[in-house]
Amino acid sequence: MTREPERNSRFSRREFLAATGGLGVAGLAGCTQDNPSDGATADPTETGSDGSDSDGSGGDGGSGELSGEISIAGSSTVFPLASAMAERFEERHSGVSTSLQSTGSGGGFANYFCTGQTDFNNASRPIQPEEEEQCAGNDVEPVELKVATDALTVIVNNDNEFLGEGLTVEQLREIWSAESQPETWADVDAEWPDEPFELYGPSDASGTYDYFIESVLGEEGPGHRQDYSPTEQDRTIIQGVSGSEFAMGYLGFAYYSQNQDTVQAVPIKDGEGDYVEPSLDTALSGDYTPLSRPLFTYPKVSALEEEHIAEFARFWIENSTSREIVADEVGYVPLSEDERDEMLGKIDSAVGDSD
Amino acid sequence: MAAETDTGAIEDFGQVSRTVGTVFRYLLLAATMFGIVMLAVLLLYVANDAIRPLTADPGWYLAFFLALVAPTGIAGWAVRRRDPAALTFGTFLVGMLVVSLMFSGGVALLVIDVVPPLVALAFAIGLAVPIGATVGLTRYAHRISFTLRLAATTAVFYLSLFGLPGPIGDAVGAPPIVPSLVALVQSVPVIPVDWMMVAAVVGGGSAAAIGTYVASVGDGSAGLYAAGVALAASAAAGAAGPLVGVDSVPAVVITAVALVPTTAYAWRGGFTEEGSPLGLVFAATVVVGALVGAAAVDVLGFAGPQSWVDWGFLTSAHSGTAENAGLYPAIGGSILLMTTVAALSFPVGVGAAVYLEEYAGDNALTRFVDVNISNLAGVPSVVYGLLGLGVFVTYLGRSAGTVLVGGATLALLILPIVIISAREAIRSVPSDMRQASYGMGATRWQTVKNVVLPEAFPGILTGTILALGRAIGETAPLIMIGAPNVVFNLPTALGSKVSAMPLQVYAWSSLFASEDFYTKAVPAGVVVLLAVLLAMNSVAIVLRNKFERTQ
Repeated sequence: MTREPERNSRFSRREFLAATGGLGVAGLAGCTQDNPSDGATADPTETGSDGSDSDGSGGDGGSGELSGEISIAGSSTVFPLASAMAERFEERHSGVSTSLQSTGSGGGFANYFCTGQTDFNNASRPIQPEEEEQCAGNDVEPVELKVATDALTVIVNNDNEFLGEGLTVEQLREIWSAESQPETWADVDAEWPDEPFELYGPSDASGTYDYFIESVLGEEGPGHRQDYSPTEQDRTIIQGVSGSEFAMGYLGFAYYSQNQDTVQAVPIKDGEGDYVEPSLDTALSGDYTPLSRPLFTYPKVSALEEEHIAEFARFWIENSTSREIVADEVGYVPLSEDERDEMLGKIDSAVGDSD
Repeated sequence: MAAETDTGAIEDFGQVSRTVGTVFRYLLLAATMFGIVMLAVLLLYVANDAIRPLTADPGWYLAFFLALVAPTGIAGWAVRRRDPAALTFGTFLVGMLVVSLMFSGGVALLVIDVVPPLVALAFAIGLAVPIGATVGLTRYAHRISFTLRLAATTAVFYLSLFGLPGPIGDAVGAPPIVPSLVALVQSVPVIPVDWMMVAAVVGGGSAAAIGTYVASVGDGSAGLYAAGVALAASAAAGAAGPLVGVDSVPAVVITAVALVPTTAYAWRGGFTEEGSPLGLVFAATVVVGALVGAAAVDVLGFAGPQSWVDWGFLTSAHSGTAENAGLYPAIGGSILLMTTVAALSFPVGVGAAVYLEEYAGDNALTRFVDVNISNLAGVPSVVYGLLGLGVFVTYLGRSAGTVLVGGATLALLILPIVIISAREAIRSVPSDMRQASYGMGATRWQTVKNVVLPEAFPGILTGTILALGRAIGETAPLIMIGAPNVVFNLPTALGSKVSAMPLQVYAWSSLFASEDFYTKAVPAGVVVLLAVLLAMNSVAIVLRNKFERTQ
């Protein structure tokens, strides 16, 4: 029964098939291209010569022919910087696929980097001996690259003159600790006015908050006082402090540097040292302690053998002197030119070793 | 009733009051509405942040009101008065156009950035040839024993996909002798241009589906013609696309995935015997109204809402500034993850459901499995994430955060739900039909294949889609298996790192925690995620309704 209509329509169907087939062949003949994967065998040599060329000149020529994957994990502090660099690298080399993951410095080393999963691990502290052992056990050889410096700045109102030279770390600890919780300035130092504190700072979701606890209050200490005005917006801290003579706050250096006229930074005295004013220079020289720390990324040597990864490492270091990216966009202190050259040297020697 | 007892005492009954009943009724209503209203408030808040309807010119609203809303209202009212079924059909048609356009966007993303057209074509040919051979073998040589047919089929598939000696040979180090059909197609020096290959693969698939659909409504030859017309339309779109400013490949995909199926549905609903052509009028009013409105605001220069969910947001990658941040890699990642999850969980889940419903006896083991599947459905997703991390990454040594690992983990997560819903669907097939099948002398395998599965299929599909809807919103398992927070490209292989929409939203709200991201990128991401989810659920709901009606 079902055969019947088919037979009736067979002639027209054949015609139809012939017509579409003919059209298809004509179309195919007209619309063809060379198979790109067929000619791909010629490409690697080209890229190779291009690569060695850019090695010599410092890798300025963004050829766009690089391809491959780069996986980055590690510190959430370095994450915004890494992501800003990756974003710019992607614009030049769209064939490279970069993935970033925020795992914390230690989590990144233990779970991803030292097990060989990732190419880079970001860290807000140097790699620890146990981690180096774990990496060595898996034949992962890390290269330490400093990418920026993080500096906390304590700010007060421009009219504040009673602080004089500055604050000691002990005073800072007393003001912000959950244990003492002084109500007025005079509670900390009898020479200061008997006026209540107005305290502004980042909220506990912020890495700056964690770092302040770590460097000033101590990890094991009583913790950060909670009767201050926490905010995610650094602008609010600046505004709050500029509004009252007896206000105080702390934030990342970059935000202060954009508002140097609005508020004044407090020099900090660590132990027996001098009062040190926060600045790019003192942060770089390491004098501004304990509120500055270097930030690192650790590529592995075996990954640097791959051209696109070495190129990304160079790109990152070359741009880590950029105020626009590092200070203005992300909020850290950029590398000095000398440091940049030293880091580039480390990359070159790592690439050279593996060759 | 108490008043009618002999004594007439109604002490136990107490005072009769209508108030108690009324209060109770409205308390129940409040309980019903509580969650919905809370969620609606949140969603309105988020949508307001993402789309910013108040930033549009009043003229923009006026133009769309006059061109779209008012005519739709009038047409809807008029059509409904004549034929309520026609209004339903018209609404479905518009919905189908919208949803299928969204799906065509997803398919376009796959063919443009994930699977090169040549590879897709090679695999399509590499699969079509052995499938054709198998069908031929089954139809014309059914006297050959099953074992022989199975062996022949396997051999044809293996040869076509892997060549000789293939992966088995690679394992022992034998040199390749016969290249696979897939490799052969890919090594042809001169190939058709991209859009023709896409037309062949996507348009071909669409044409086959349309042909089957039309053949099921009309007759075989009509189906064949419909398939031919569908294929021709897809190809024509590729040729004509550049003339109207659309690239060829997207034009082909939109035609094949959205326009052709919608047209077929419109044809069926409008021009077949039980059709309701008035529905077409309603649908046309909506579509034309939208186009006229868009053209009018363009000509008159009224600015629409400055929505954060715009073309740039959908097609660009993450950026450090919220205004430039986009969701593209995450959308693609979610699509690939869902494809992997569906491919893994559907066969396994349906297989398990068929076994448990049709084959398993009522014994201790079955009851044990039963209880455990129900329990597994309630296990928190973060635990499945840990399972994925432990099994796939640590034990099997796959790299963390890839499409395959993420897809396999999410597949495990929804497997119990798929099994449970597939069992429900199979159970709802009337046992009369099974008995009738057995009565005709069919074996259990024939009954399952020819009676149970076709009857239960829409229900199974509905359950699977709803389960996928759960998987697409999962964040915790992906975090556990080490999926990256930010990627800039679409994954191009099963072993590439993948991000997903919920993960990207989470990253924006946690790692880029700033006012800008909270008020721009995060709401926009949430709106897109919900739109995709609602599109998937609408497909499931339509399938379910259709299923219930045919029951």
